[in-house]
Amino acid sequence: MLTEESKPVVNQRIVLREESDDWAILFDPDTSGTYGLNPVAVYIWKCLDGKNTIADIVRKLGKECKDMPDDAVNHVKAFVDELIEKGYAGYGT
Amino acid sequence: MRDTGHKLTLKAEGLDSCSIMKPIKTPRSVDIEITNDCNLRCKYCYHFTGPGDVREDVPTGEWLSFFEELGRCAVMDVYIEGGEPFFREDLRELIDGVVKNRMRFKLLSNGTLITDEAASYIASTGRCDNVQVSIDGGSPQTHDLSRGKGSFHRAVAGINILRKHQIPVGARVTINRHNVRGLDEIAKFLLDDIGLPAFSTNSAGPMGLCRQNQEEMGLTVEDRQIAMESLLSLNKKYNGRIKAQAGPLADARQWRMMEQARREGRAQLPNCGFLSGCGGVMDKMAVRADGVMTPCTQMSHIELGRINRDDLMEVWQHHPELKRLRERAAIPLSTFEFCKGCEYMHYCTGNCPALAYATLKEDNHPSPDACLKRFLEAGGTIPE
Repeated sequence: MLTEESKPVVNQRIVLREESDDWAILFDPDTSGTYGLNPVAVYIWKCLDGKNTIADIVRKLGKECKDMPDDAVNHVKAFVDELIEKGYAGYGT
Repeated sequence: MRDTGHKLTLKAEGLDSCSIMKPIKTPRSVDIEITNDCNLRCKYCYHFTGPGDVREDVPTGEWLSFFEELGRCAVMDVYIEGGEPFFREDLRELIDGVVKNRMRFKLLSNGTLITDEAASYIASTGRCDNVQVSIDGGSPQTHDLSRGKGSFHRAVAGINILRKHQIPVGARVTINRHNVRGLDEIAKFLLDDIGLPAFSTNSAGPMGLCRQNQEEMGLTVEDRQIAMESLLSLNKKYNGRIKAQAGPLADARQWRMMEQARREGRAQLPNCGFLSGCGGVMDKMAVRADGVMTPCTQMSHIELGRINRDDLMEVWQHHPELKRLRERAAIPLSTFEFCKGCEYMHYCTGNCPALAYATLKEDNHPSPDACLKRFLEAGGTIPE
């Protein structure tokens, strides 16, 4: 389960394929599965290096984005949870 | 500064919603001719007469280095073809390189060299989308006429080996003068007798060896008429299990749509009225067996650079020839003398640039081979 201390990390098997206008696709070569990411999600994906907690990611995002909603942390957590559920990322330490 | 909008939206609703109009950063897919060698000499093969048809294949190490670059560029899949890919003794090592660099693959084969060991290995990777095997007849009498004596039984044996290992098989029927009157036999063989879920079709085009053997292999107007009518009828019988992106079945579908648009007096069909017939250069490219990058395996005369010497991303994003081919879609058909007075012009895409080049030595031109007006003028009719 994703906790405040978790530092999620991407599954190295998954390919981040950046297309155009900062949008991207996550591609699982073992299943052919694809998952479209918008630029904010791409930014978060790149933060999943096993060194950042969700709070760290939200803080970094706040410096990069304008009009951050108050409940951004919930959105980020839900997104990372979904990646973990799909096997695209792990909990880290 | 990234704009999150009012809500922090984190994912696209689906890839279908991503309509990418400008070229993507790197190709999604690359067709790789790993060898020029082949154990067969099929009479309509588009190889063996072009500039890339040299007898010097890129060595294993060079391919493996290139696959690392493909991995860095996040290419999703490669189409491994030839020549005959199973002719290379290092095929397993090459597939290893593809898998290691997080890609999937397809193989295009004549089927005759597929062994149990090779199929077992391919299946074990879990990354093979399919192996396409060419089948040009429902019996040796038809198939072997264009592909050589004994090739039918060996190709069918190859298909059986692949199926034993649960590797998806995509049979491809190239319609030519020898088999055009036996399409029902082929469909019965592939769909009923063997039990493949589907097969695809195209036709022997005026390039490569087929150009030399045009009289024997190329389809006449009458042949095309027969092929279109047979395939439409068979596809109805087999519930859409016959596929085509080119050749008589694709032409029949496109031409019926064009005729309907003409009858309804529609101003234009979407993406038509321009040289928009090929979108391949927007998301894929090819590499010849000698390591030269090209826009497409059928446009091997356009040399874009060499693998491991020229940067793939640089070539993909900035090569003037790719840019030129991508801009074909902005050239109105009305600018061509060839299209003057054609009542189908606003419903037409000009079709395949490689076919146009094969016929005219000019790719920025509608393909005469796929021209509905010419077909009708030569006595053909659009199938009902």
